[in-house]
Amino acid sequence: MEKSHLTVKNLVMYYRTLKGEVKAVDDVSFSLPRGETVAVIGESGCGKSSLARSIIRLLPRNVSTYKGVILFNNLNLIELEEEFFTRDVRWVKITYVPQAALNSLNPVIKIGDQMVEPLILRQKMDKHEALDKAAKTLRRVGISENFIHRYPFELSGGMKQRIIIAMSLLTNPELMILDEPTSSLDVLTQANIMNLLKNIRKDLKLSMIFITHDVSLSSELADKIAVMYAGQVVEFNDANTFYHDPKHPYSQKLMESVPTLRTEKKLDFIPGAPPSLLNLPKGCRFAERCPYAFDRCVKDPPLIYVNENFYVKCWLYVRG
Amino acid sequence: MIPRFGKYVIKRGIILFLTVIVATYITVLIANMGGYVDEIIKSDLYLSISQSIRQNPAYKALNETQIKELINAIYTNELKKIGFDKPFIYRSISYLRDALSLSLGRALFISSDSGSKNVRIIILERLPNTVFLFTTTQLLLFFIGLFTGLFLARRYGSFLDKLSVLFAPLSSMPGWFYGIFLILIFASFLRLLPYGGMVDVPPPSNRFDYALSVLKHMILPVMSWLIAYTPINVYVRRTFFLMFSSEDYVELAKAKGLPESLIQRRYILRPTLPPIITDFSLTLIGSWMGAIITETVFNWPGIGSLFYQVSVMFDSPVLIGLVVIYAYLLALTVFALEFVYAILDPRIKAGGT
Repeated sequence: MEKSHLTVKNLVMYYRTLKGEVKAVDDVSFSLPRGETVAVIGESGCGKSSLARSIIRLLPRNVSTYKGVILFNNLNLIELEEEFFTRDVRWVKITYVPQAALNSLNPVIKIGDQMVEPLILRQKMDKHEALDKAAKTLRRVGISENFIHRYPFELSGGMKQRIIIAMSLLTNPELMILDEPTSSLDVLTQANIMNLLKNIRKDLKLSMIFITHDVSLSSELADKIAVMYAGQVVEFNDANTFYHDPKHPYSQKLMESVPTLRTEKKLDFIPGAPPSLLNLPKGCRFAERCPYAFDRCVKDPPLIYVNENFYVKCWLYVRG
Repeated sequence: MIPRFGKYVIKRGIILFLTVIVATYITVLIANMGGYVDEIIKSDLYLSISQSIRQNPAYKALNETQIKELINAIYTNELKKIGFDKPFIYRSISYLRDALSLSLGRALFISSDSGSKNVRIIILERLPNTVFLFTTTQLLLFFIGLFTGLFLARRYGSFLDKLSVLFAPLSSMPGWFYGIFLILIFASFLRLLPYGGMVDVPPPSNRFDYALSVLKHMILPVMSWLIAYTPINVYVRRTFFLMFSSEDYVELAKAKGLPESLIQRRYILRPTLPPIITDFSLTLIGSWMGAIITETVFNWPGIGSLFYQVSVMFDSPVLIGLVVIYAYLLALTVFALEFVYAILDPRIKAGGT
């Protein structure tokens, strides 16, 4: 059995707003072996980004509950003090590529200077040496070295995303969290970035958490799939098994909504919208939109483990 | 890149100068009440001529019609001499030319403290007083607002932050309103500080004592403005920084684990400097035109009280002079800001939008 690199157990992250408590991440568990990629898929507003941010402790200001276990290299990140978290984990072992590539670089600072900040600040690297390293990493992601002296407004969206990816590689991380890294880019640039990520994964043997709402995109990278719905992971499975035989009704619907080229297939969709994370329904959260809903669904379904790397949260699979 | 920027700067310079011309011409029209002030001057002239002739014993022998003819002849002659025979529109153009070349001429009614009627001397005598008082005030307001704003933006939702929101409406009262209470408390009741003016009477001969006396007179006006405008200033800055602290690049900086102080300096303050500098410099230049009521309440011999004096007396040359100097200052500031922007924001230097 592979050794787990990252294990998340019963992770909970709620934050308080004027309208009430938002249960963005509600009892999420999964584990990721070293060097593999888990794709977190689901509709918008299901807590995917919140999950990613909870792992690197980029919490909203008004967070009210933050508990559970995040084992990374057998170190529980939740209990780790801020000082050590910043020194050893944040942007050192775990890096984060945000969703909004277009606006994620400071517009008035040169790209090189932005890239090397963590190296100079935390690894006490000399500026010259750090810029050298940045230039090399830029070449690694397919961008000319002299771009370290340019400003972000001189770049296209795809280039900016590459630069952020380069920035996240600069500290030789073990785990990269990619929060919809291609969502604001056109299809060709998207393909480019996906190829880049595949290469990086192959060459550097990184573990990755890849967050996307695009099921077909997830198949490009994923070894494992975590389907999120209303703040919970409803199915966790090996990618290969998942794409052929999704178990949870929500996963099935998601798969059916994926278009295929040149085949007559009626695209299915799920009527309605995911429940608001502000007031969640009792029992199974998907029951309202589920075609198979039956009387047991008024109670919260348990996690049905098939094995350690495969579980589904649905009453349909409860025997007896 | 540089020639493109140069072209841009020249274009801006020309546009700004045109703006100054238009502003000055409108002022010339308004200050002369569209030519009505000329009528006042004309009738004044007629009156003084007729009086001097009627009182002159040399003309005692002339009868009424002859006297009237004589008065009219001298009057038309005088009009021609000062250029009043042509319609106002011609004169307005020459007023404009004089104003723009800063040959501001002589005041109609008022004179400077040293007795001069030269408009430039009148204005330059008052300007330093106002500049000194309000630059001090605005600098204090600016830095208090900036640092408190940054501090509160970092502690959004804290007790102090809520307090700042609560205090913001205090600024609905103008500075002089608080000034009156301050005078009552510190001058009238406690007798610690002077009621008003800029320096003790008679002024101390020793330089150091003079400066000390001016400082003592400044405390109350500066304090009144600080009390009045700090709450809103802090509130505005705090909200401004709060808005920019949720930018995506600030989030990424947090994810990178940069220390809070560096994020504030490099990721919040740095990209927002252009609008902050603009706001500050325009407010500063604006304040140099004085505050009419504050200067009156504190009896401060500055531009504000001069403005009031000449407005009620229709002393159009002084009024025009004030506005022209202000228009030039403003245009120069805006022009200088173009360069400041280019330094602060690389996007502008590249000749973007």
